[in-house]
Amino acid sequence: MIAAIRALEVPIRAGAGLPRRVVARLSIGARGPKAQVDWAESIGRVASDGDREAFKRLFEHFAPRIKGLMLKAGCSSDEAEEIAQSTMIAVWRKAHQFDPATAGAPAWIFTIARNLRIDLFRRRARTERLQTDSELPDAPDQAETADVLMSRVQDAARIAAAIKQLSAEQSTVVRLSFIEERPHPEIASALGIPLGTVKSRIRLAMNRLRDILDEEA
Amino acid sequence: MTISHHPPEELLADFAAGNLEEAHQLVVGVHVAGCPRCARFVRAIEQLAGAAMEDVEPVPIAPDAFDRVMSRIHLSPAETAAPPLASDIDHDLPPALRNYRIGKRRRVAPGLSMRPIELSGSGSARAFLLRSAPGSRMLEHSHTGTELTLVLEGSFSHEGGRFGPGDFDYGDDEVDHRPIVGDEGPCLCLVAMTGDLRMNGFLGRLIGPFVRL
Repeated sequence: MIAAIRALEVPIRAGAGLPRRVVARLSIGARGPKAQVDWAESIGRVASDGDREAFKRLFEHFAPRIKGLMLKAGCSSDEAEEIAQSTMIAVWRKAHQFDPATAGAPAWIFTIARNLRIDLFRRRARTERLQTDSELPDAPDQAETADVLMSRVQDAARIAAAIKQLSAEQSTVVRLSFIEERPHPEIASALGIPLGTVKSRIRLAMNRLRDILDEEA
Repeated sequence: MTISHHPPEELLADFAAGNLEEAHQLVVGVHVAGCPRCARFVRAIEQLAGAAMEDVEPVPIAPDAFDRVMSRIHLSPAETAAPPLASDIDHDLPPALRNYRIGKRRRVAPGLSMRPIELSGSGSARAFLLRSAPGSRMLEHSHTGTELTLVLEGSFSHEGGRFGPGDFDYGDDEVDHRPIVGDEGPCLCLVAMTGDLRMNGFLGRLIGPFVRL
Protein backbone atom coordinates (compact mmCIF):
# COMPACT_ATOMS: atom_id res chain seq x y z
CA MET A 1 0.00 0.00 0.00
CA ILE A 2 2.80 2.38 0.86
CA ALA A 3 4.31 1.72 -2.52
CA ALA A 4 0.99 2.40 -4.18
CA ILE A 5 0.59 5.73 -2.44
CA ARG A 6 4.13 6.75 -3.24
CA ALA A 7 3.55 5.94 -6.84
CA LEU A 8 0.81 8.54 -6.85
CA GLU A 9 3.12 11.22 -5.61
CA VAL A 10 4.31 12.55 -8.89
CA PRO A 11 7.00 15.18 -8.49
CA ILE A 12 5.43 18.57 -8.38
CA ARG A 13 6.73 21.29 -10.60
CA ALA A 14 7.79 23.92 -8.19
CA GLY A 15 6.55 27.37 -8.99
CA ALA A 16 4.69 26.44 -12.16
CA GLY A 17 1.70 28.68 -12.51
CA LEU A 18 2.07 30.31 -9.13
CA PRO A 19 1.44 33.88 -10.18
CA ARG A 20 -1.54 32.73 -12.21
CA ARG A 21 -3.03 31.04 -9.21
CA VAL A 22 -3.19 34.29 -7.31
CA VAL A 23 -4.87 36.02 -10.22
CA ALA A 24 -7.29 33.14 -10.66
CA ARG A 25 -8.25 33.24 -7.04
CA LEU A 26 -8.92 36.92 -7.17
CA SER A 27 -11.11 36.42 -10.18
CA ILE A 28 -13.22 33.91 -8.27
CA GLY A 29 -13.70 36.48 -5.55
CA ALA A 30 -14.60 39.11 -8.11
CA ARG A 31 -17.24 36.89 -9.65
CA GLY A 32 -18.85 36.74 -6.26
CA PRO A 33 -21.92 34.80 -5.28
CA LYS A 34 -24.49 34.62 -8.04
CA ALA A 35 -27.80 36.30 -7.58
CA GLN A 36 -29.86 33.36 -6.51
CA VAL A 37 -33.07 32.06 -5.14
CA ASP A 38 -32.75 30.48 -1.75
CA TRP A 39 -32.97 26.89 -2.95
CA ALA A 40 -32.79 25.52 0.56
CA GLU A 41 -35.93 27.46 1.40
CA SER A 42 -37.70 26.13 -1.68
CA ILE A 43 -36.83 22.57 -0.69
CA GLY A 44 -38.16 23.33 2.80
CA ARG A 45 -41.47 24.45 1.32
CA VAL A 46 -41.76 21.32 -0.72
CA ALA A 47 -41.13 19.33 2.45
CA SER A 48 -43.56 21.20 4.68
CA ASP A 49 -46.42 22.14 2.33
CA GLY A 50 -45.88 20.12 -0.83
CA ASP A 51 -45.50 23.56 -2.47
CA ARG A 52 -45.88 22.98 -6.19
CA GLU A 53 -44.68 26.45 -7.19
CA ALA A 54 -41.50 26.12 -5.16
CA PHE A 55 -40.96 22.72 -6.71
CA LYS A 56 -41.48 24.10 -10.19
CA ARG A 57 -38.77 26.70 -9.58
CA LEU A 58 -36.43 23.99 -8.36
CA PHE A 59 -37.30 21.90 -11.39
CA GLU A 60 -36.72 24.68 -13.88
CA HIS A 61 -33.37 25.53 -12.38
CA PHE A 62 -31.94 22.12 -11.58
CA ALA A 63 -33.38 19.65 -14.11
CA PRO A 64 -31.56 21.22 -17.11
CA ARG A 65 -28.35 21.43 -15.11
CA ILE A 66 -28.53 17.83 -13.96
CA LYS A 67 -29.08 16.89 -17.58
CA GLY A 68 -26.13 19.02 -18.65
CA LEU A 69 -23.81 17.51 -16.06
CA MET A 70 -24.89 13.95 -16.87
CA LEU A 71 -24.23 14.56 -20.56
CA LYS A 72 -20.78 15.85 -19.70
CA ALA A 73 -20.14 12.76 -17.60
CA GLY A 74 -20.88 10.51 -20.57
CA CYS A 75 -24.59 9.66 -20.33
CA SER A 76 -26.69 9.43 -23.48
CA SER A 77 -29.33 12.10 -23.98
CA ASP A 78 -32.13 9.70 -22.96
CA GLU A 79 -30.25 8.61 -19.87
CA ALA A 80 -29.48 12.19 -18.88
CA GLU A 81 -33.16 13.12 -19.33
CA GLU A 82 -34.32 10.14 -17.29
CA ILE A 83 -31.82 10.83 -14.50
CA ALA A 84 -32.83 14.50 -14.41
CA GLN A 85 -36.53 13.62 -14.09
CA SER A 86 -35.96 10.86 -11.55
CA THR A 87 -33.71 13.14 -9.51
CA MET A 88 -36.44 15.74 -9.32
CA ILE A 89 -38.97 13.11 -8.22
CA ALA A 90 -36.52 12.10 -5.48
CA VAL A 91 -36.06 15.76 -4.51
CA TRP A 92 -39.82 15.94 -3.91
CA ARG A 93 -39.93 12.68 -2.00
CA LYS A 94 -36.79 13.24 0.07
CA ALA A 95 -37.29 16.96 0.65
CA HIS A 96 -37.93 16.33 4.35
CA GLN A 97 -34.48 14.72 4.63
CA PHE A 98 -32.65 17.76 3.35
CA ASP A 99 -30.75 19.55 6.07
CA PRO A 100 -29.51 22.97 4.95
CA ALA A 101 -27.07 23.00 7.89
CA THR A 102 -25.06 20.12 6.46
CA ALA A 103 -25.11 20.52 2.70
CA GLY A 104 -25.93 23.08 0.08
CA ALA A 105 -28.92 22.36 -2.14
CA PRO A 106 -26.79 21.83 -5.30
CA ALA A 107 -24.50 19.32 -3.55
CA TRP A 108 -27.51 17.48 -2.11
CA ILE A 109 -29.22 17.31 -5.48
CA PHE A 110 -25.96 16.23 -7.09
CA THR A 111 -25.68 13.26 -4.72
CA ILE A 112 -29.21 12.14 -5.63
CA ALA A 113 -28.43 12.36 -9.35
CA ARG A 114 -25.12 10.58 -8.85
CA ASN A 115 -26.79 7.69 -7.00
CA LEU A 116 -29.46 7.38 -9.67
CA ARG A 117 -26.82 7.26 -12.37
CA ILE A 118 -25.05 4.47 -10.49
CA ASP A 119 -28.36 2.59 -10.19
CA LEU A 120 -29.13 3.09 -13.86
CA PHE A 121 -25.83 1.57 -14.93
CA ARG A 122 -26.25 -1.37 -12.60
CA ARG A 123 -29.80 -2.01 -13.69
CA ARG A 124 -28.68 -1.99 -17.26
CA ALA A 125 -26.10 -4.63 -16.35
CA ARG A 126 -28.78 -6.88 -14.98
CA THR A 127 -30.09 -7.43 -18.46
CA GLU A 128 -31.30 -10.93 -17.88
CA ARG A 129 -33.57 -9.88 -15.06
CA LEU A 130 -37.11 -8.87 -15.72
CA GLN A 131 -37.71 -5.20 -15.07
CA THR A 132 -41.26 -4.50 -14.11
CA ASP A 133 -40.91 -0.96 -12.89
CA SER A 134 -40.39 1.73 -15.46
CA GLU A 135 -39.08 4.15 -12.89
CA LEU A 136 -35.64 4.33 -11.36
CA PRO A 137 -35.74 3.15 -7.76
CA ASP A 138 -34.67 5.57 -5.08
CA ALA A 139 -31.07 4.91 -4.29
CA PRO A 140 -30.55 3.50 -0.84
CA ASP A 141 -28.91 6.06 1.37
CA GLN A 142 -25.56 5.18 2.75
CA ALA A 143 -26.03 4.37 6.41
CA GLU A 144 -23.56 6.29 8.50
CA THR A 145 -22.25 5.61 11.96
CA ALA A 146 -23.00 7.97 14.83
CA ASP A 147 -19.46 9.36 14.62
CA VAL A 148 -19.93 10.40 11.05
CA LEU A 149 -23.44 11.73 11.58
CA MET A 150 -22.35 13.84 14.53
CA SER A 151 -19.53 15.44 12.67
CA ARG A 152 -21.74 16.35 9.71
CA VAL A 153 -23.00 19.64 11.06
CA GLN A 154 -19.68 20.74 12.52
CA ASP A 155 -18.00 19.88 9.28
CA ALA A 156 -20.19 21.89 6.96
CA ALA A 157 -18.50 25.23 7.62
CA ARG A 158 -15.07 23.69 7.57
CA ILE A 159 -15.71 22.07 4.20
CA ALA A 160 -16.98 25.31 2.74
CA ALA A 161 -13.87 27.10 3.99
CA ALA A 162 -11.56 24.39 2.65
CA ILE A 163 -13.07 24.56 -0.82
CA LYS A 164 -12.53 28.29 -0.90
CA GLN A 165 -8.86 27.72 -0.20
CA LEU A 166 -8.38 25.61 -3.29
CA SER A 167 -6.97 27.64 -6.12
CA ALA A 168 -9.10 28.06 -9.23
CA GLU A 169 -6.61 25.86 -11.10
CA GLN A 170 -6.98 23.14 -8.53
CA SER A 171 -10.76 23.13 -8.46
CA THR A 172 -10.77 23.14 -12.26
CA VAL A 173 -8.70 19.95 -12.52
CA VAL A 174 -10.79 18.29 -9.82
CA ARG A 175 -13.92 19.21 -11.72
CA LEU A 176 -12.64 18.02 -15.08
CA SER A 177 -11.02 14.86 -13.83
CA PHE A 178 -13.53 13.53 -11.32
CA ILE A 179 -16.85 15.23 -11.93
CA GLU A 180 -16.77 15.36 -15.72
CA GLU A 181 -14.60 12.23 -15.86
CA ARG A 182 -12.42 13.54 -18.64
CA PRO A 183 -9.23 11.60 -19.36
CA HIS A 184 -6.00 13.31 -18.36
CA PRO A 185 -4.72 13.85 -21.94
CA GLU A 186 -7.98 15.60 -22.78
CA ILE A 187 -7.64 17.84 -19.73
CA ALA A 188 -4.06 18.62 -20.73
CA SER A 189 -5.13 19.80 -24.17
CA ALA A 190 -8.19 21.65 -22.86
CA LEU A 191 -6.07 23.61 -20.40
CA GLY A 192 -3.01 23.80 -22.65
CA ILE A 193 -0.70 22.26 -20.05
CA PRO A 194 1.56 19.18 -20.17
CA LEU A 195 0.10 15.83 -19.12
CA GLY A 196 2.52 15.64 -16.19
CA THR A 197 1.21 18.94 -14.91
CA VAL A 198 -2.36 17.63 -15.00
CA LYS A 199 -1.36 14.67 -12.86
CA SER A 200 0.68 16.70 -10.41
CA ARG A 201 -1.99 19.36 -10.16
CA ILE A 202 -4.63 16.75 -9.31
CA ARG A 203 -2.33 15.23 -6.69
CA LEU A 204 -1.63 18.67 -5.29
CA ALA A 205 -5.33 19.50 -5.12
CA MET A 206 -6.08 16.22 -3.35
CA ASN A 207 -3.29 16.77 -0.82
CA ARG A 208 -4.27 20.34 -0.24
CA LEU A 209 -7.91 19.51 0.35
CA ARG A 210 -6.99 16.71 2.73
CA ASP A 211 -4.50 18.94 4.58
CA ILE A 212 -6.89 21.83 5.02
CA LEU A 213 -9.67 19.54 6.19
CA ASP A 214 -7.34 17.78 8.63
CA GLU A 215 -5.70 20.84 10.01
CA GLU A 216 -8.96 22.41 11.06
CA ALA A 217 -10.19 19.23 12.68
CA MET B 1 -12.42 2.77 16.54
CA THR B 2 -9.20 4.46 15.55
CA ILE B 3 -8.68 4.34 11.84
CA SER B 4 -5.14 4.85 10.70
CA HIS B 5 -5.17 3.67 7.09
CA HIS B 6 -7.34 5.52 4.60
CA PRO B 7 -8.06 5.19 0.88
CA PRO B 8 -5.97 7.36 -1.45
CA GLU B 9 -7.70 10.71 -2.06
CA GLU B 10 -8.18 10.00 -5.77
CA LEU B 11 -10.23 6.96 -4.86
CA LEU B 12 -12.34 9.03 -2.46
CA ALA B 13 -12.88 11.68 -5.12
CA ASP B 14 -13.97 9.05 -7.64
CA PHE B 15 -16.26 7.60 -5.00
CA ALA B 16 -17.82 11.01 -4.33
CA ALA B 17 -18.31 11.64 -8.04
CA GLY B 18 -19.90 8.22 -8.55
CA ASN B 19 -17.21 6.93 -10.89
CA LEU B 20 -16.21 3.74 -9.13
CA GLU B 21 -17.33 0.33 -10.23
CA GLU B 22 -19.66 -1.47 -7.88
CA ALA B 23 -17.19 -3.59 -5.88
CA HIS B 24 -14.88 -0.63 -5.26
CA GLN B 25 -17.77 1.65 -4.45
CA LEU B 26 -19.01 -0.85 -1.88
CA VAL B 27 -15.67 -1.17 -0.08
CA VAL B 28 -14.83 2.54 -0.13
CA GLY B 29 -18.42 3.31 0.92
CA VAL B 30 -18.25 1.09 3.98
CA HIS B 31 -14.97 2.75 4.99
CA VAL B 32 -16.38 6.25 4.46
CA ALA B 33 -19.55 5.44 6.41
CA GLY B 34 -17.40 4.75 9.47
CA CYS B 35 -14.62 7.29 8.98
CA PRO B 36 -15.45 10.94 9.78
CA ARG B 37 -12.20 12.11 8.18
CA CYS B 38 -12.88 10.52 4.80
CA ALA B 39 -16.58 11.37 5.00
CA ARG B 40 -15.53 15.01 5.25
CA PHE B 41 -13.31 14.69 2.22
CA VAL B 42 -16.11 13.06 0.25
CA ARG B 43 -18.52 15.83 1.19
CA ALA B 44 -16.00 18.41 0.06
CA ILE B 45 -15.91 16.77 -3.37
CA GLU B 46 -19.72 16.64 -3.38
CA GLN B 47 -19.78 20.36 -2.70
CA LEU B 48 -17.42 20.91 -5.62
CA ALA B 49 -19.68 18.73 -7.76
CA GLY B 50 -22.71 20.75 -6.72
CA ALA B 51 -20.88 23.91 -7.70
CA ALA B 52 -19.89 22.34 -11.03
CA MET B 53 -23.54 21.49 -11.66
CA GLU B 54 -24.51 25.10 -10.99
CA ASP B 55 -21.96 26.27 -13.55
CA VAL B 56 -22.74 23.75 -16.24
CA GLU B 57 -24.44 24.80 -19.45
CA PRO B 58 -28.13 23.94 -18.85
CA VAL B 59 -29.50 21.51 -21.43
CA PRO B 60 -33.22 21.86 -22.27
CA ILE B 61 -35.36 19.22 -20.69
CA ALA B 62 -38.23 17.49 -22.54
CA PRO B 63 -41.17 19.92 -22.85
CA ASP B 64 -43.60 17.64 -21.01
CA ALA B 65 -41.05 16.65 -18.36
CA PHE B 66 -42.51 18.69 -15.52
CA ASP B 67 -46.00 17.28 -16.03
CA ARG B 68 -44.66 13.78 -16.29
CA VAL B 69 -42.67 14.22 -13.10
CA MET B 70 -45.74 15.58 -11.30
CA SER B 71 -47.89 12.68 -12.41
CA ARG B 72 -45.27 10.19 -11.30
CA ILE B 73 -45.13 11.93 -7.94
CA HIS B 74 -48.92 11.72 -7.61
CA LEU B 75 -48.87 8.02 -8.37
CA SER B 76 -46.68 7.37 -5.33
CA PRO B 77 -45.96 10.52 -3.35
CA ALA B 78 -44.20 8.78 -0.47
CA GLU B 79 -40.70 7.55 -0.56
CA THR B 80 -40.54 3.91 -1.51
CA ALA B 81 -37.46 2.54 0.13
CA ALA B 82 -36.48 -0.91 -0.96
CA PRO B 83 -36.64 -3.28 2.01
CA PRO B 84 -33.25 -4.68 2.91
CA LEU B 85 -32.62 -8.26 1.92
CA ALA B 86 -33.34 -9.82 5.27
CA SER B 87 -31.84 -13.12 4.21
CA ASP B 88 -28.92 -12.49 6.46
CA ILE B 89 -28.79 -13.13 10.14
CA ASP B 90 -25.35 -11.53 10.19
CA HIS B 91 -26.25 -8.37 12.07
CA ASP B 92 -22.61 -7.62 12.67
CA LEU B 93 -22.15 -6.75 9.05
CA PRO B 94 -22.13 -3.07 8.14
CA PRO B 95 -25.57 -1.75 7.07
CA ALA B 96 -24.30 -1.07 3.55
CA LEU B 97 -23.91 -4.82 3.05
CA ARG B 98 -27.48 -5.59 4.05
CA ASN B 99 -28.68 -4.54 0.61
CA TYR B 100 -26.63 -7.26 -1.00
CA ARG B 101 -27.15 -10.96 -1.33
CA ILE B 102 -24.20 -12.73 0.21
CA GLY B 103 -23.36 -16.25 -0.86
CA LYS B 104 -22.53 -19.27 1.25
CA ARG B 105 -19.22 -19.47 2.99
CA ARG B 106 -16.67 -21.64 1.29
CA ARG B 107 -13.24 -22.72 2.29
CA VAL B 108 -10.39 -21.47 0.13
CA ALA B 109 -7.35 -22.69 1.99
CA PRO B 110 -6.61 -23.86 5.53
CA GLY B 111 -7.82 -21.17 7.94
CA LEU B 112 -9.24 -19.11 5.11
CA SER B 113 -12.85 -18.91 3.94
CA MET B 114 -14.82 -16.52 1.80
CA ARG B 115 -18.40 -15.48 1.03
CA PRO B 116 -19.01 -13.93 -2.36
CA ILE B 117 -21.13 -10.79 -2.53
CA GLU B 118 -23.58 -10.76 -5.39
CA LEU B 119 -23.07 -7.69 -7.55
CA SER B 120 -25.00 -6.47 -10.59
CA GLY B 121 -22.26 -7.56 -12.97
CA SER B 122 -21.69 -4.05 -14.29
CA GLY B 123 -18.04 -4.01 -13.27
CA SER B 124 -15.07 -6.31 -13.55
CA ALA B 125 -14.09 -6.46 -9.89
CA ARG B 126 -15.47 -9.02 -7.49
CA ALA B 127 -16.40 -8.38 -3.89
CA PHE B 128 -16.30 -10.89 -1.09
CA LEU B 129 -15.99 -11.29 2.64
CA LEU B 130 -12.77 -12.99 3.63
CA ARG B 131 -12.38 -14.64 7.00
CA SER B 132 -8.99 -15.80 8.19
CA ALA B 133 -8.14 -17.65 11.36
CA PRO B 134 -6.25 -15.84 14.14
CA GLY B 135 -2.51 -16.01 13.80
CA SER B 136 -2.66 -17.35 10.28
CA ARG B 137 -0.08 -16.22 7.84
CA MET B 138 -1.22 -15.69 4.32
CA LEU B 139 1.06 -16.81 1.58
CA GLU B 140 3.20 -14.16 0.11
CA HIS B 141 1.26 -12.87 -2.82
CA SER B 142 0.90 -10.12 -5.32
CA HIS B 143 -1.99 -9.17 -7.55
CA THR B 144 -2.56 -9.09 -11.25
CA GLY B 145 -5.05 -6.27 -10.64
CA THR B 146 -5.98 -4.09 -7.70
CA GLU B 147 -7.21 -5.20 -4.34
CA LEU B 148 -9.10 -3.01 -1.91
CA THR B 149 -9.40 -4.44 1.57
CA LEU B 150 -11.39 -3.11 4.48
CA VAL B 151 -11.01 -4.71 7.90
CA LEU B 152 -14.36 -5.34 9.60
CA GLU B 153 -13.15 -7.39 12.56
CA GLY B 154 -9.81 -8.50 13.92
CA SER B 155 -6.59 -7.33 12.33
CA PHE B 156 -3.72 -8.17 10.05
CA SER B 157 -0.26 -6.74 9.58
CA HIS B 158 2.16 -6.56 6.71
CA GLU B 159 5.07 -4.31 5.86
CA GLY B 160 2.60 -1.43 5.37
CA GLY B 161 1.63 -1.55 9.04
CA ARG B 162 -1.10 -2.97 11.22
CA PHE B 163 -4.66 -2.91 9.92
CA GLY B 164 -7.52 -3.03 12.43
CA PRO B 165 -11.29 -2.48 12.12
CA GLY B 166 -12.10 0.35 9.70
CA ASP B 167 -8.61 0.37 8.19
CA PHE B 168 -8.36 0.37 4.44
CA ASP B 169 -5.59 -1.32 2.50
CA TYR B 170 -4.88 -0.58 -1.13
CA GLY B 171 -2.88 -3.15 -3.04
CA ASP B 172 -1.97 -3.20 -6.68
CA ASP B 173 0.30 -5.26 -8.85
CA GLU B 174 3.36 -3.46 -7.55
CA VAL B 175 2.82 -4.68 -4.04
CA ASP B 176 4.13 -7.95 -2.72
CA HIS B 177 2.86 -8.61 0.71
CA ARG B 178 2.51 -11.30 3.24
CA PRO B 179 -0.14 -10.42 5.78
CA ILE B 180 -0.16 -12.02 9.21
CA VAL B 181 -3.51 -12.16 10.96
CA GLY B 182 -3.57 -10.84 14.52
CA ASP B 183 -3.91 -13.27 17.42
CA GLU B 184 -6.92 -11.56 19.00
CA GLY B 185 -9.47 -13.36 16.87
CA PRO B 186 -10.45 -14.18 13.32
CA CYS B 187 -9.98 -11.40 10.82
CA LEU B 188 -13.02 -10.51 8.71
CA CYS B 189 -12.35 -8.33 5.71
CA LEU B 190 -14.44 -6.89 2.92
CA VAL B 191 -12.45 -7.21 -0.28
CA ALA B 192 -12.86 -5.87 -3.81
CA MET B 193 -10.54 -7.47 -6.27
CA THR B 194 -9.81 -7.24 -9.95
CA GLY B 195 -7.58 -9.79 -11.58
CA ASP B 196 -6.27 -12.72 -9.58
CA LEU B 197 -4.11 -13.31 -6.61
CA ARG B 198 -0.70 -14.47 -7.66
CA MET B 199 1.05 -16.64 -5.14
CA ASN B 200 4.76 -16.09 -4.88
CA GLY B 201 7.37 -18.49 -3.65
CA PHE B 202 7.76 -22.17 -4.25
CA LEU B 203 4.88 -23.34 -2.10
CA GLY B 204 2.66 -20.60 -3.40
CA ARG B 205 3.29 -21.60 -6.97
CA LEU B 206 2.59 -25.15 -6.03
CA ILE B 207 -0.76 -24.51 -4.40
CA GLY B 208 -1.56 -21.29 -6.25
CA PRO B 209 -3.69 -23.01 -8.87
CA PHE B 210 -5.86 -24.51 -6.13
CA VAL B 211 -6.48 -21.33 -4.24
CA ARG B 212 -9.40 -19.87 -6.08
CA LEU B 213 -10.05 -16.35 -4.98
